[in-house]
Amino acid sequence: MKTVIKTTNLSKVYKDSVVPVHALKNVNLEFSQGEFTAIVGPSGSGKTTFLNIIGGLDKPTDGHVIIDGVDIATMKESQLFDFRLRHIGFVFQAYNLIPVLTALENVSFIMLLQKQSKQEMEKRARAMLEQVGLGDKINERPGRLSGGQQQRVAVARALASKPDFVLADEPTANLDTESAFNLLDIMARLNKEENITLIFSTHDQRVIERARRVITLVDGAVDKDEYFERA
Amino acid sequence: MKMLIILAWRNLWRKKRRTFITISSVMFAAFLAIALMSMMDGMRDQMVSSIISSTTGYIQIQDALYHDEPILDHTMELTDEISDLVSQFSDRIAFTVPRINGFCLGSKDMGSRGVYVTGILPEKEEKMNALSSRVTEGRMFSAEDDYAVIAAGLARQLDLALGDTLVLLGQGFQGATAAGTYQVGGIIEFLMPEQNNTMVYLPLKEAQLFFGAPDRLNSLIIMVDSESDTEGLAADLANRLDPEWHAVKTWEELLPDQVAAFEARDAQVRLMAWILYVVVGFGILGTIITMMHERLREFGILLSIGLKRTQLAMICMLETIMISFLGVLAGIGLGFMATSWFKHHPIQLEGAFAEVFIELNVEPIYKFSNAPDIFIYQGTTIFIIALVVGIYPIRKILRLDMINAARK
Ligand SMILES: Nc1ncnc2c1ncn2[C@@H]1O[C@H](COP(=O)(O)OP(=O)(O)OP(=O)(O)O)[C@@H](O)[C@H]1O
Ligand SMILES: [Mg+2]
Repeated sequence: MKTVIKTTNLSKVYKDSVVPVHALKNVNLEFSQGEFTAIVGPSGSGKTTFLNIIGGLDKPTDGHVIIDGVDIATMKESQLFDFRLRHIGFVFQAYNLIPVLTALENVSFIMLLQKQSKQEMEKRARAMLEQVGLGDKINERPGRLSGGQQQRVAVARALASKPDFVLADEPTANLDTESAFNLLDIMARLNKEENITLIFSTHDQRVIERARRVITLVDGAVDKDEYFERA
Repeated sequence: MKMLIILAWRNLWRKKRRTFITISSVMFAAFLAIALMSMMDGMRDQMVSSIISSTTGYIQIQDALYHDEPILDHTMELTDEISDLVSQFSDRIAFTVPRINGFCLGSKDMGSRGVYVTGILPEKEEKMNALSSRVTEGRMFSAEDDYAVIAAGLARQLDLALGDTLVLLGQGFQGATAAGTYQVGGIIEFLMPEQNNTMVYLPLKEAQLFFGAPDRLNSLIIMVDSESDTEGLAADLANRLDPEWHAVKTWEELLPDQVAAFEARDAQVRLMAWILYVVVGFGILGTIITMMHERLREFGILLSIGLKRTQLAMICMLETIMISFLGVLAGIGLGFMATSWFKHHPIQLEGAFAEVFIELNVEPIYKFSNAPDIFIYQGTTIFIIALVVGIYPIRKILRLDMINAARK
């Protein structure tokens, strides 16, 4: 299986606080094409830091992040903007969507920034909204969607541009149980159908079992890395 | 780019009321600045044209010594040389107005007053300042008549009525005694007291005879075709005249106090306008800052998913531009309507204000100008201020820490 992301000796130290915080310590991980991985661990264990670094939003203090054969840890900020736009999809905990755009426009947004053709873009955006079960809400603005629906639009947006992988930092943290399961189910299905590598972090025991691989971080280090067979 | 414009436009209307208030404040500032400038320019235009027509005209040709010592001995002869020169420039000269004048004593019976005798060609004065429209009793003389038209204040002081005889006594050209008696054939009313209490008009020929200075003039007033040509024409005329004998003066040289007064007031109004600009500038800045801070998390996310900082900065700039543009446009619209109205319906002044105008030799009404450059100047100034204000969010965005912004 093709390796999408590979980290070697990844470390992150936050020096701006009184005592330096070792948020990540020597993390060596590989993610293959099509994997569906949950990153779990107690609060402060480094989940967000890890996702930010492999997403090119933050720089490691030490180590390498190899994506598509390039080390993004050495990239300049302007290169990273473009790299994120072309290779990585993001879903955040909340406020993912642009309030003044409709669901359809939000899903199209990244493709628009990538300068895809208009017809293809709209076709793809509609299809993705159908996939996440919001075919009837394409012209609604985020303010008129529930939290769960908004997160589904965010997932549709992250996947619509067919990135190499999608990172989701606690995508279900603000959702009720039913919406959380629903979102994870959609993510699992899309992961299979689109064969897009998906990595999400969570605190939430209920949704962990949707993942086929579960990595547990403790104090910035990999504690466990387990694979599960799922239906 | 289209997307950025759409985003900026829609962002503007997220908080409709606030945007509306900001636009209104820009509008009122633009409007006030325009109204201020319009009033100032209108007043200036009015003063200039009123001063020019009632006193000096645009340009005067004088004897070289007259300006420094304005006495009858320094009058000039209206030579062929000058008449030829005037006709050579006839395409730039509307008409000329010859005058001779001097102070003397005017009396009736036992009473006497200092008067200012001015010899005029009535049809020329008519063109220049519609003098005869001020005649309240009797009528203006024609060039061939030999009676006087005197100011109403003087008539009252000397108890002169139509048909009465005015005795004039003074000094004429080169020490000769000037003396004459004239029938009062018309009474003329001036607003400015110094004119109303002193003016005595005589037909030019009569006055020249009276002063013993036939064919001589204190000055030949030149009325230009276009006001903007004043300086140029004066220079051209001066070039063709021997400075040994003749001087050419523009109204600004003849009335330096007036020009200084204009400049002082211009400076005051400009200062007021700038205070206004600063206030608007802070108004826009306030809105932009709040718009920015309530969206920092959104900005963080937009930057994370691949929107470039420059694109985001562009959105914010567009928002600023749109707000100020709408405000300026509305202000200009409102300003244009208001100034057009007041241009055609000038405000009549009364009381102390009116006095000030009268003192300045100007009719006491407010006329507004709606010259396009006022709108262009005010509009662009406020617009540029908005652009300067727009630098704040751009700087902020270029430095924004997107991770922290997205996390909050
Ligand atoms: N910008 C920062 N400056 C200083 N310390 C930071 C910063 N961001 C994170 N940390 C610290 O780094 C450690 C890891 O934080 P991180 O946010 O990655 O944990 P997490 O696993 O995502 O926690 P949670 O489950 O609460 O989201 C924590 O101790 C945190 O306090
Ligand atoms: Mg976290």
